[in-house]
Amino acid sequence: MSDETSISGGTDPDLGTPAGIGDQDAVMGAAEAAAIMQEQDQRARQAFRVSHRGSFVAWGAITLLGYGVTWLAVHNAHPAEGPNPVGFALVSVLALGSALISGAEARSDAGVGGISARRRRINLTALVAGLVAMYTLEGALYRAGAGRPVLFVFEATAPILIAGLFYLTTSALSLDWALAGFGLWLAATAVGAAFAGPHGVWGVDALTAGLGFLFMAALEPRLRRATGLRLQHS
Amino acid sequence: MSDLDPVIHAPARLRIVVTLAALRDGDNLSFTRLQDLIGLTPGNLVTHLRKLEDAGYVTTHKNGSGVTARTSVELTNGGRAALDRYTSVLRGLLDSAGGPAPDPGK
Repeated sequence: MSDETSISGGTDPDLGTPAGIGDQDAVMGAAEAAAIMQEQDQRARQAFRVSHRGSFVAWGAITLLGYGVTWLAVHNAHPAEGPNPVGFALVSVLALGSALISGAEARSDAGVGGISARRRRINLTALVAGLVAMYTLEGALYRAGAGRPVLFVFEATAPILIAGLFYLTTSALSLDWALAGFGLWLAATAVGAAFAGPHGVWGVDALTAGLGFLFMAALEPRLRRATGLRLQHS
Repeated sequence: MSDLDPVIHAPARLRIVVTLAALRDGDNLSFTRLQDLIGLTPGNLVTHLRKLEDAGYVTTHKNGSGVTARTSVELTNGGRAALDRYTSVLRGLLDSAGGPAPDPGK
């Protein structure tokens, strides 16, 4: 619960400090005021803007290397085989690294509360729920008699589909059309790769999704600059 | 210059209002993050926030108590409107003087 309180009556150890930015009512010309507005607005927007570049790189590596290693291990296997222990361990280590990078990226949001924070919590809850639902559904498919090839296709495609839907909903929070396009790309990739079968699905996902993540990582600085220019001229 | 809102027309308060205006509607900012972005001492920041709060331009909220207490600051609709008016007046002054117009991302 948040109770609205007044700061009136708070202690003020520096009241009357004469110098610098804390000047109480320093004389300021119109040009100086305009310069301060421009500079502070740029600083604030830069500070609040969340970069996904680190997690794009990490997830690109997970998908490209993890799925790629798995494809190399299983593409000639008959009958179909799933991920080998080496590939699974690699993906796990990279996923842990990605989680740490995502945590570092979240520092841009540090101190920002209100509606955006509630939206982020709901969005992350949806991601976790999607992943839990994925593994639960896989159990249900196994219980219903689904064969190993079907389960391998599901294992390879479901995380990519969920990641795509996650980026799609994330894009809605900031009206980020590039991120929305990437989310759709991942969702389409996941569905399309499923038709490559239990062997090919790993290779198709490694290339289309993995390179897609890395492409977004390379593109993001340019998109951020473009967004900045739009803000200045709109 | 007399048309400029005196509550906003001070370097520190202008920075505070512009920083809070960079947030989305309905968002607030913690006191410590605001302090980091403005570069004021806590005491000076409190003083300026008090003036802005008295004018109805910002509201402050305190969550929790003791060492876990978190104070957050939010620009009110009135504060956002006041910044728009201030920007408009400033733009007019600069236009008449032939200088660059301010553009706080709006």
